[in-house]
Amino acid sequence: MNLTTLTFLVFCFITILIYFVIPKKFQWVVLLISSIIFLFYDNLHISTVIQALLILIPSYIIGIQIEKNSNTKKGKIFLIAGTLIILAQLFYLKYTNLFLATFNHIFNLFKIDYQFDFVYRNSLIGISYYSLIMISYLVDIYRGTCNAQKNIFKCALFMSYFPILTSGPFIRYGSVGKELYEGHKFNYDRMVRGLVRILWGVFKILVISQRLGMFVDSVYGNLELFNFIFTFAAMIAFTLQLYTNFSGSIDVIMGISEIIGIKLPENFTLPFFSKTVTELWRNWHITLGAWLKDYIFYPLLKSDFMQKLNKKCQKRFGKKVGKKIPMYLSMLIMWIIIGAWHGGAYTFIIGSGILQFVYMFLEDTLGQISDKINKKLGIRKDVFSYKLYQVIRTFLLFSFAMIFFRASSLTNAFEIIKNIFIINLGTLMNKDALLNMITNMGLDIYDFAILFVSLIILFIMQLLARKRDVREKLLEQNIIFRWVILYILIFTIIIFGCYGAGYDATAFIYRQF
Amino acid sequence: MKKNIAKVVVFLLIFIILFLCINKILWIAPSPISYFYNEPKETIDVVYIGSSNAYMHFNSVLAYDLYGYTTFFLSTEAQTFALAKYLMIDAEKYQNPSLYVIDLGKVADDMDSYLGEEFRKTTDSMKFSKNRINAINEVLSYKEDIDKKDYINYYFSFLMYHNKWKDISKSNIIGSKNLYKGYYFSKLTDKIESHDTYIWSKDIIQLPEENKMILLNLIKYIKENNLNVIFVVPERYFDETFQAKINDAVNIIENNNLKVINCNTLEELNNIDFNIDLQNAHHLNVYGSTKYTLWFSKYLKENYNLPDHRNDVRYSSWDSEYKRFKDNFKKITDKNFDDLLLEYTNN
Repeated sequence: MNLTTLTFLVFCFITILIYFVIPKKFQWVVLLISSIIFLFYDNLHISTVIQALLILIPSYIIGIQIEKNSNTKKGKIFLIAGTLIILAQLFYLKYTNLFLATFNHIFNLFKIDYQFDFVYRNSLIGISYYSLIMISYLVDIYRGTCNAQKNIFKCALFMSYFPILTSGPFIRYGSVGKELYEGHKFNYDRMVRGLVRILWGVFKILVISQRLGMFVDSVYGNLELFNFIFTFAAMIAFTLQLYTNFSGSIDVIMGISEIIGIKLPENFTLPFFSKTVTELWRNWHITLGAWLKDYIFYPLLKSDFMQKLNKKCQKRFGKKVGKKIPMYLSMLIMWIIIGAWHGGAYTFIIGSGILQFVYMFLEDTLGQISDKINKKLGIRKDVFSYKLYQVIRTFLLFSFAMIFFRASSLTNAFEIIKNIFIINLGTLMNKDALLNMITNMGLDIYDFAILFVSLIILFIMQLLARKRDVREKLLEQNIIFRWVILYILIFTIIIFGCYGAGYDATAFIYRQF
Repeated sequence: MKKNIAKVVVFLLIFIILFLCINKILWIAPSPISYFYNEPKETIDVVYIGSSNAYMHFNSVLAYDLYGYTTFFLSTEAQTFALAKYLMIDAEKYQNPSLYVIDLGKVADDMDSYLGEEFRKTTDSMKFSKNRINAINEVLSYKEDIDKKDYINYYFSFLMYHNKWKDISKSNIIGSKNLYKGYYFSKLTDKIESHDTYIWSKDIIQLPEENKMILLNLIKYIKENNLNVIFVVPERYFDETFQAKINDAVNIIENNNLKVINCNTLEELNNIDFNIDLQNAHHLNVYGSTKYTLWFSKYLKENYNLPDHRNDVRYSSWDSEYKRFKDNFKKITDKNFDDLLLEYTNN
């Protein structure tokens, strides 16, 4: 069930209506039933039911056992067992083909005449989300930051809360769990705020992201037709497509939760105003970054192995450099995991993993050298032009990495890069070639105009959002102005949105994770 | 709380009004069927259902001028035969006509032809109702590649037509006209070699099970509602296998005591010459359609009790559309239509 379909709209309306009609103590049951319907709507099969139960039941039982055996070796064993059970299923369903591809490459390398056939597993929507959410649930119980849920149905609701299954954000039992189970009274202002956020999200997805996608698909799908400028533009367009699609779906999810009365953690805070890649990742998919830091990076850094390595490196390379080696190693492992989490393919591991690590590593190691050069050349860092340069540089580096994220294979990614860097000025002078590119770019002049205006609106809204909460500001206005803006937004979506027949409707890029 | 409820109600009301206005502007009628619902009640005497063979073969404004009864086409290009029943249900609801003419050109169509989106021209033109949903459900049930969850895209045509803002024109705002009451004519002539030796087959090949079921369902509906119906096999080129299947359909209809005419075997229509009267293998041109209309309109008048509205001012639009047709015929062919009529009548 896609977030911007009529089916989802009706589904949410019914859920919210029933939620506020029935007594508070049963409200969580409505959310559970809706979540179960949502979870199995597209994929009701005995194997998917077993998949869900194979995560829920062990997590539920082991959670209670960890709590009973807190601070004991037995508790730790339970935690490891629980984590392994969840990971085993995640790996089996998502990463089998990655391993098979690796073996096939190795066989090729050693000229062994055998290739594994890829397998296609029927997995549930949101498996990457609820698997990690349940791991954090077990770890938090072990750490004593929350108690185990004694009611298996409530545990099931935490695991499957429907709005977050498609695109996150990652929730923690300690902060969101209680809100899921306690009842909420209907609040008109909350409903209006939630609806405005939903509309803004749908605008980003249907009016902007889908159009950008049409352009990106046309260029990346017919590289031989397009020159370096179009391929470069597609690289930029894909980053914007990804952002508007992902942040738009988060807006829809947050809006629904806001209406219900459940506050979810923010997942984006204007990432493209970041001056470094490190800063960008603090503002992009925030809850994933926080999850990985809390449950992978820091535990890894504090592990016995890393502590020993730290000591050894400090002895050998000195205190300053030595202590950074285990940190970089932990970071590298974390970024490989982030890449792999995005998808069971090397393109993801490189695009949203290793390359991001390389950027951050270079920012950290070359930062001081760059500062010295700037000082010698008299380049001021506190002026607008330098900040603008940093923002553009960060955006371009991130966009470059996203080529791998979007590419169907590593070969395809290198083809795209090659197309960008082969600068053939002749294609700019050739009228026929230019006309051919324009007619095949997937957008006509009208779509292009809509896209252009929408991107400007998005940019202005982002600029405004840096200083104030635009939504609150809008809702403070007089009713006529407020309604006019809302009607414009609604009808812009209805008329100019890319949905329904003729469009490959609203495939959410992050849904596959 | 009451104030908030009032705000929501007013907001929704304004939204609905704006939506209806925008829907009216953006919606481009996919076929003349949509005009049917605007016709004044009880003013349509004959409803002609079928594919392009209906509105390209029968000149409804000429028939009106000759005999005074009105014919409306609930027809679209390559219309799926399974939709005939649902169009009749709508026709009964809005007009209650004296007679239905059902074109059999698509009766034996392979189920593969149901896989396309052509049927949307009909269903998207139908008024939103339970009947329309039933019609869509039946056609989609023959399409194995469509998931039931996607049926919603067919129920709400706005999901398809909302992006028509690019093609918006003056006619979207002021509305367009149903030219010549739905009749479409072409002066083109295509001579198909095989037509010279075109003889209707006497063979019979059984209709595929699904086609037979669709036809029997239609017959059942006609009988249950005691409707006056005449089936017509259009005068055009069909391959031999298709002819044999149509022969089976004709037998089924006749065995159910319903009237069916095969124009291809009628001596009265021998004047239609496949060398000059066809637009292409599947359609008559304006000359062929005039010959067919002269005979068929007379046949209907003689065999069915159809009224004459020619002196009724409420039907003046039929006179003006006939005049418009004749004027345009003259512009396109450089011939006088009345002279043509005279020529055909004398022959």
